[in-house]
Amino acid sequence: MKISNIKKEYDKFALNIKSLEITNSVQNTIVGATSCCPNNEQHNIYGIIGANGCGKTTLMKIMAGIIKPDRGTIDNEGLTSRDITMIFRKPYLLHDTVLKNLLYPLKIRNIKPDNNEIEMLLNMAGLENLTNKYALTLSGGEQQKLAMIRAFIFKPKLAFIDEGFSNMDIESVALFEQYIQKTKDTTWVLISHQISAIKRICTNIFFMSKGEIKAKGETIELLNNPQIKELKEYLQYM
Amino acid sequence: MLTLQMTLLSTAMSCVIGIPLGLLLDKARFPGKRIVVLINRTLMAAPPVVIGLVVYLILMRNGPLGFLGWLFTFEAMVLAQTILITPIICGIVYTASQRSASNIRAFAITMGASRLQTQFLLIKELSNEIYFAAIVGFGRAMSEVGAIMIVGGNIRYHTRVMTTTIALLRNRGEINQAIFLGAVLMIIALIIQVIGGFLKRREERTDENI
Ligand SMILES: Nc1ncnc2c1ncn2[C@@H]1O[C@H](COP(=O)(O)OP(=O)(O)O)[C@@H](O)[C@H]1O
Ligand SMILES: [Mg+2]
Repeated sequence: MKISNIKKEYDKFALNIKSLEITNSVQNTIVGATSCCPNNEQHNIYGIIGANGCGKTTLMKIMAGIIKPDRGTIDNEGLTSRDITMIFRKPYLLHDTVLKNLLYPLKIRNIKPDNNEIEMLLNMAGLENLTNKYALTLSGGEQQKLAMIRAFIFKPKLAFIDEGFSNMDIESVALFEQYIQKTKDTTWVLISHQISAIKRICTNIFFMSKGEIKAKGETIELLNNPQIKELKEYLQYM
Repeated sequence: MLTLQMTLLSTAMSCVIGIPLGLLLDKARFPGKRIVVLINRTLMAAPPVVIGLVVYLILMRNGPLGFLGWLFTFEAMVLAQTILITPIICGIVYTASQRSASNIRAFAITMGASRLQTQFLLIKELSNEIYFAAIVGFGRAMSEVGAIMIVGGNIRYHTRVMTTTIALLRNRGEINQAIFLGAVLMIIALIIQVIGGFLKRREERTDENI
């Protein structure tokens, strides 16, 4: 996905993105960065970091097609709305059971559920004994996990996750991180305030400040050797 | 049961018109929207006799729809009731959509739902509120006297329903009969609520802090 000259204004806030590109290829196309591991089948996992209110969620919603920018172009490079998903910080759960929630994306695609796959996802989320429970009575972390596996089940090509791990226990976080790392057909973009988690799984980072992308590059390079003042300030409390 | 026929028919018609209108009113962005909402709110609280009078004027022999010959018929009562309840159903659905429709639409996009699937999902997810709107409309239609008295004329076997009968009995001083009919009306209302209660889905956990 390529976006350029994106502008979105709210009162007292303006998002300005000149250009941004997200690819799943092995080769790293971020300008100024060299590919780290040519023989390793590494796929790109992107992280978006930045202070509260800097525009991370707004940018993600624009890329996921949930809100329209005031101007600018979005090139989905052949992906349709069926291939792209976003997991919200506060997920929307259907007024129905856990299982019905999980199967919803398959139902609207007329896909027959694969029982092994469902079992694997439910186990990963620790929801295997709660399938008939009314989804809106789940705890915050359980709701997040359900929203995650509900998005994973239809194998999106591009998945945006907005602070999706914030209420999960550490074991669940580890299991979901593993899933993300091994699911290479999906391009992942994550927002997180957990710099340690970003370091563990993201290959590339976008650092945002006041509605703009102030720095981008490979994770290690960018975090170990921040070049700009804003990023240094942001990282100082780590 | 003329009363039930009239009430069910006018509630059904109001739902068919009012639910899409309420959803549309939430989604559409146009200048003067606030005025439309204000008119809607006013009509929700419109005195039934006024609506009855307006429908009477429209249906009377030299009125715009006088050629239909509907005055003092069952159709006239259903028309008046529908005009009376549609704003109520529209208003309740609008308020409910304002609160959660944009969340549901955003969710539908993340799932890759088509436009039709999104509409279907909206109605399903708002079904509790839609059900509530229908019950309120139904209750209003069943208990209402003023409008249908004017346009129906309270003609025996023809346009006389339970509420207008009660009013008539009271005028004649047959209080015991009036009370009996009133009780029957209350019991019907109760039965409808109980049946509705079975259809209604479980409540969600709305407040995690309790
Ligand atoms: N729908 C909206 N209406 C008005 N202001 C908004 C809206 N959405 C976001 N904003 C504002 O835009 C700014 C950026 O929000 P957001 O992208 O959610 O930040 P974050 O980086 O914390 O995710 C915030 O100041 C927020 O108040
Ligand atoms: Mg945010």
